Amino acid sequence: MAGSDELGRPRQRPSAVRLSRIGWGLGGIVLVLAAWELFARLKGDPVLMPTVPATARTFWDYLRTPYPAAGHTLWQHALVSLARIGVGWGAGVVIGVAIGGLMASASVVRYLIDPLIELSRPLPPLAFIPLFIIWFGIGETPKFVLILVGVVPVMIIATVTALDAVPKELVQASRSLGASPLWSLLTVRLRSALPGIITGARLAMGGAWTSIVAVELIASTSGLGYLINNAGVNLQTSLVLSGIVSISLLGIVLDSLLRLLHRGIDPTRR
Amino acid sequence: MRQVTATAAPDTGTTAAVRIVGVEKAFAGRRRGAAARRALDGFDLEVREGEFLCLLGPSGCGKSTLLNLLAGFETPDRGEVVVAGDRVSGPGPDRGVLFQTPMLFPWLTVLDNVLYGPRARHELTTEIRERAVELLETVGLGSAMHAYPHELSGGMRHRAAFARVLINKPRLLLMDEPFGALDAITRLAMQRFLLELWERDRTTIVFVTHDVEEAVLLGDRICVMSGSPGQTRAVFPVDLPRPRDVALTDTLAFAHLKRQVREALEEGHR
Repeated sequence: MAGSDELGRPRQRPSAVRLSRIGWGLGGIVLVLAAWELFARLKGDPVLMPTVPATARTFWDYLRTPYPAAGHTLWQHALVSLARIGVGWGAGVVIGVAIGGLMASASVVRYLIDPLIELSRPLPPLAFIPLFIIWFGIGETPKFVLILVGVVPVMIIATVTALDAVPKELVQASRSLGASPLWSLLTVRLRSALPGIITGARLAMGGAWTSIVAVELIASTSGLGYLINNAGVNLQTSLVLSGIVSISLLGIVLDSLLRLLHRGIDPTRR
Repeated sequence: MRQVTATAAPDTGTTAAVRIVGVEKAFAGRRRGAAARRALDGFDLEVREGEFLCLLGPSGCGKSTLLNLLAGFETPDRGEVVVAGDRVSGPGPDRGVLFQTPMLFPWLTVLDNVLYGPRARHELTTEIRERAVELLETVGLGSAMHAYPHELSGGMRHRAAFARVLINKPRLLLMDEPFGALDAITRLAMQRFLLELWERDRTTIVFVTHDVEEAVLLGDRICVMSGSPGQTRAVFPVDLPRPRDVALTDTLAFAHLKRQVREALEEGHR
């Protein structure tokens, strides 16, 4: 459709807007890659800064070559980290929503837990790494617990905020249409809070990556954090960069899935 | 002044759709130890079957509290609230509530909003589904039934809210300043819509408003309230011919009655 909207701006088709957004977004990425390449060529030192093609080659090679020689491929390291994230984050979301739901329904629970969250909020989860290694050793348990420590408070805060924001009249409307209290809780209160809870889950996902990579740097023999650290010690800079890019790509994929879910359940965002 | 009596009981001999006897309701003070605010103190009201009653009063006179008691969202501290012979003990689909804003469920289409009640009561049948479509056509939303609430105009949302309530065949409609937030033109259209609807079905309506003209245009009887605690200041029967139209507002009889009601309202407010 040609013409202009009521504010006099040229009207664009939604697909055109989308295309232009993607175009500019890709432009930014290309710009950063170009700067990287320029810097690498000027320095001419692959340890300090490998070129973009060299890094891409390393990335491609290590998708199939184990690193270290007796260990996993880049692909497998990524899967190990991903599995840790999946379990830790998934459990954290469930626990956080459950506790948040209880806090929003019973003020006693809220009074009990609120100060605990406030006290723990300024603490970076990474501060707990030594403690968890002492308590749980260097197996999977400390990694799991560390992700929980990062995810659960975020999910609690997101859930409580989202449930508190549900208008009282919306629940009243459902009750006066004949819904039982339980039906109303499930189909209106929780349903109405779902977009806020998903936003919380997206934020918590970022925190989970921070935690898992940090703990893998210190106490692990697998995972992307371990790969990055080990490659760094051996001055394999292009592999370090490959590991970083992998985390970034996985992060984008996971966040896109959550955004897709958000769009699916919230018609105002379509 | 004529008609300034403290009782709101209508002529005897007809069945009462609503009977409120000696109702008291107080709300706890905001701070500990602060005196409780008495919203209603020994309030009496009767509404005839098929009557359109307007509750008129300034904000804080207890008219919304009264409506919440009728809807079953709140329970009286003392006294009786009886609808169609049954004591009100909680919200239910026999009393349709229309709020100040339509309070549609934003994640459901218009049709699914209308079907929410039957679905919640596990009474959804093909017959009900057909009736919902019919009802949406009656309220002028036949072509918008698969749209989401955010895609509708203000007036359309209100009509959808009407359909959502009417599918349950309520014996009583409770409206809390339903058109207060609309622009003047939409508001007029909605008043006309409501008049047509009521003249067709003759459902008993308790309509809360602070707009004198709206009360005189719509009601069979106007109960002027003053607070707090809420009391009946005066009751005016509206002996204007039906079916009514907005043109009625230009007549002398209308202006005369409007003035009387306004004076009663102002007297109570001083």
